[in-house]
Amino acid sequence: MAPLLEISDLRTDINLRRSVVHAVDGVTLHLEAGETLGIVGESGCGKTMTALSVMNLLPAGGHIVGGQVRLAGQVISELDDEAMRRVRGNDIGMIFQDPLTSLNPTMTVGKQIAEAVQLHREVSKEQAMDRAAEVLDLVGLPRSRERISEYPHQFSGGMRQRVMIAMALACEPKLLIADEPTTALDVTIQKQILELIDDLRRRLGMAVILVTHDLGVIAGRADRVAVMYAGKIAETTDTSTLYANPRHPYTEALFHALPDKAAETRERLYSIPGLPPDLTHPPSGCRFAARCRYAADRCREEEPTLRGETAGHEFACFFPVGERERGGLVVSEPGPVEQALPPAPAAGGAVLLAAEHLVKDFPVTRGAVLQRRVGAVSAVANVSFEIRTGETLGLVGESGCGKTTIGRLIVGLEKPTGGAVRFDGKDLVGSRGREYRRQRRSIQYMFQDSYASLDPRMRAGAVLREPLEVQHIGSRRDQDKRIAEMLGHVGLPSTAVDRFPHEFSGGQRQRLGFARALMLSPELIVADEPVSALDVSIQAQVLNLMRDLQTELGLTYLFISHDLAVVRYLSNAIGVMYLGKLVEAGPADEVYLTPAHPYTRGLIDSAPVADPAAEHAKVEAGVRGELPSAIHPPSGCRFRTRCPLAQEICAEVEPVLRPFSVNGHQAACHFPLQPPVAADATATASAPTPLP
Amino acid sequence: MTGYLIRRFGQALIVLFFVTVITLLLIHLFPGGPVRAMLGPRATVAQVRIFNHLYGYDRPLYIQYLKWIDQLLHGNLGFSPKLNMSVAALIAQDLPKTIVLVLLGTIVSLLFGIPLGMYQAVKRYTVGDYVLTGVSFLGYATPTFFIALLLVEWFAVDIHIFPPFAPQGSSVGQILAQPQGLVLPVIAYSFVLYALWSRYMRSSVMDNLVQDYVRTARAKGASERRVLWGHVFRNSLISIVTLLGLSLPSLVAGAIFIEVVFNYPGMGLAFFNAAEDVDFQVLLGFTVLATVATILGNLLADIGYAMLDPRVRYN
Repeated sequence: MAPLLEISDLRTDINLRRSVVHAVDGVTLHLEAGETLGIVGESGCGKTMTALSVMNLLPAGGHIVGGQVRLAGQVISELDDEAMRRVRGNDIGMIFQDPLTSLNPTMTVGKQIAEAVQLHREVSKEQAMDRAAEVLDLVGLPRSRERISEYPHQFSGGMRQRVMIAMALACEPKLLIADEPTTALDVTIQKQILELIDDLRRRLGMAVILVTHDLGVIAGRADRVAVMYAGKIAETTDTSTLYANPRHPYTEALFHALPDKAAETRERLYSIPGLPPDLTHPPSGCRFAARCRYAADRCREEEPTLRGETAGHEFACFFPVGERERGGLVVSEPGPVEQALPPAPAAGGAVLLAAEHLVKDFPVTRGAVLQRRVGAVSAVANVSFEIRTGETLGLVGESGCGKTTIGRLIVGLEKPTGGAVRFDGKDLVGSRGREYRRQRRSIQYMFQDSYASLDPRMRAGAVLREPLEVQHIGSRRDQDKRIAEMLGHVGLPSTAVDRFPHEFSGGQRQRLGFARALMLSPELIVADEPVSALDVSIQAQVLNLMRDLQTELGLTYLFISHDLAVVRYLSNAIGVMYLGKLVEAGPADEVYLTPAHPYTRGLIDSAPVADPAAEHAKVEAGVRGELPSAIHPPSGCRFRTRCPLAQEICAEVEPVLRPFSVNGHQAACHFPLQPPVAADATATASAPTPLP
Repeated sequence: MTGYLIRRFGQALIVLFFVTVITLLLIHLFPGGPVRAMLGPRATVAQVRIFNHLYGYDRPLYIQYLKWIDQLLHGNLGFSPKLNMSVAALIAQDLPKTIVLVLLGTIVSLLFGIPLGMYQAVKRYTVGDYVLTGVSFLGYATPTFFIALLLVEWFAVDIHIFPPFAPQGSSVGQILAQPQGLVLPVIAYSFVLYALWSRYMRSSVMDNLVQDYVRTARAKGASERRVLWGHVFRNSLISIVTLLGLSLPSLVAGAIFIEVVFNYPGMGLAFFNAAEDVDFQVLLGFTVLATVATILGNLLADIGYAMLDPRVRYN
């Protein structure tokens, strides 16, 4: 029997004003009914364009210039508009990355789902609405009958994505295309959504194409994987073979750039040098050659075809890495690693920063004439921690847990409602005027979105000069010298001073943002999700840079991220936050390997790792439900509403941080996953001294 | 919503207070004071003193203000000696006629501007779009009175289809009884507004067409027509509603140039004549009325906003 979906030699161009981007260039794929195919690659590799080509939903200027897409034997790439409309939403459903912008804000969710039904089925309005409620039930939306008349903004992010899925499934398509379906969601919600898609695939017997940049997401969900690079498929095989024995150097490089495995050894991450090629003029020969560590002359002259040594494992490379395969037997062997760095700097310096009982409430007001204060969002509730000179404290938690607010409190962008921030023993909150300005030099902020946080009309030189000007440091010549020096530090060419932010790539911009934070020779850098908008290979470059400069300049980091693997890789100590509370803290490996708090455990289990075996072993783990409102946080332990171990006492008595090792490992839980140690065995410091 | 309205009403009162105070001060900025403006430069000192006393201009400012406000609240907007009628009566006579002109003009401009703006967005960068863009720019750039004069030249002088003057009469009924006279003033008035709506609608629809939710609708299998009218239309109207609210004051102030060129007997013409005659009581009364209309227009725009966009909840 022919496969459900057959893509053969698909080529898609996007016409720009003066050039043509060859976004998809000869992609051949197939997908059986009931199967999940993962398409993975970095941004700009053509994975989304491949998916959109199947739907024939290309952006303006985009069109298929060659090849075929067949769905259940029918060539759908050659259908006219009207016939294709009968395929979209009916035979193929699609869900997108951002569930907020992907839903019409001015239409109730019920109507939006019913619309899909009415477009493809001869049904009345009422019947369509009934169906809408039915599919909302199917995707696990509580009280679906009542909620069909609500608008998208009244739903949480995870629930919105469920609505999107319901809409895509309303007509029971044979194929579901999910384009980065969980990238905008928290890990705990990501796990729930991925499980839902998997479960629905089994129950409805449909096939799924899962497009993602995240090798971890693919690992546990896809049957087969296609790795794309620069508009072409670099390697394709079944999931377990790919993860055990990647043959294409690009696939291998992607794995080596992941911080997951390097976190244990703290070895330097492999980062792919350079940038993906410009697809308006793709290079001749192998497209990866310019960035490949094994490339030879042949690679630059001749284009490798997608072929394999055994059936079912194809790769486009003349000099494949990994093990030769015979008859599907695979011997896995770890690829070459970069020279190891010394472990994260052994610190043990004096306490540089101490947060003491930090509280931050944001008022909620209501009222017609007088804006009465009716409550408060409890963003940070009594959080204490310490960071020693030269150390890195990583703060993790879901969005809305207060980690960013803590960062903002420390750099002085917010005033705490209560508590104190001590820097080098001096109170930061109370200082004013000249003293305040002087102290601020020592603490600098590194932003998540390097594009939005740089003035688009300022050249890089001016961006870097501004902190010096604000603080009246040095003559113009001194400043120039300092700028040149700093560009060298972060690995940008000295000619970069005259460039505008949009003339840099994402990774380069983040380097520039880092350089700006370093201009005043700060002691502490608060880095708020500095790598979460970057591709894996670029992320590795920035993480390596942060590690290098920490050793070189003796920096101390407060590293804020939702990504446990990244946090663990970079940090000596980890603090886990939940709804404004610090629920667990301690040495990075101790917290990660032997968590005491059920939330930490759930967070670790939710985060997908790039290892199919490990992913499949995790059944029914993770954190259930969604983050409750911070306006009325649950009584007692704030995590109890989602905790599998919660009992009555959790609602009545708020747990305090208790020590779980002599190294400063602490957790606030009544029913911890391991017994606490005697209270007098440790000091009161929340920040740990590193493991011997 | 109710709470929001109450709060907005409070704000409106504060704005009104400041506007009325400033207006009152403006009276005293007339060269030689308000009485000189009324009696002319040849009035004797004795006459001025008598009139000052008669109208209360010799009392302290705050007394004058309170008395004026008291009068305003009783519907007394002043008296125009030049027209020999009260300002309120003048407004009662001219306002309905102006509303007819402005309302008709606005409706006509919307009927053309919104669909053509949508057409331009869908067919962007085609010949049709460029032609309509040219027309809109013409509407923006050409002075209103010039358009009015051209229309008169072409359609009244050259080919005699429509009369060159607006209908005359003291009541709305009389105006509406001569519809052919309304055509040119309405066209002239709506031309500029058409340019405004079509440009805003074009950019608004273009912004919305590239939104993710449009892609979702297409992924459901919706046709382009459905995407446009079922999804994009309502989202695009949101930005138009603000403009519409802000244009409300012209309902009251009238379209001055149109009314003057066509001699249309509305508020705009009355205001123009009052300005020429330094008939400041009329000018003051109209200013207060225009202020009220502006505030109301803003409020209506906000309410329209909340109706179109469920994310906007005023509380």
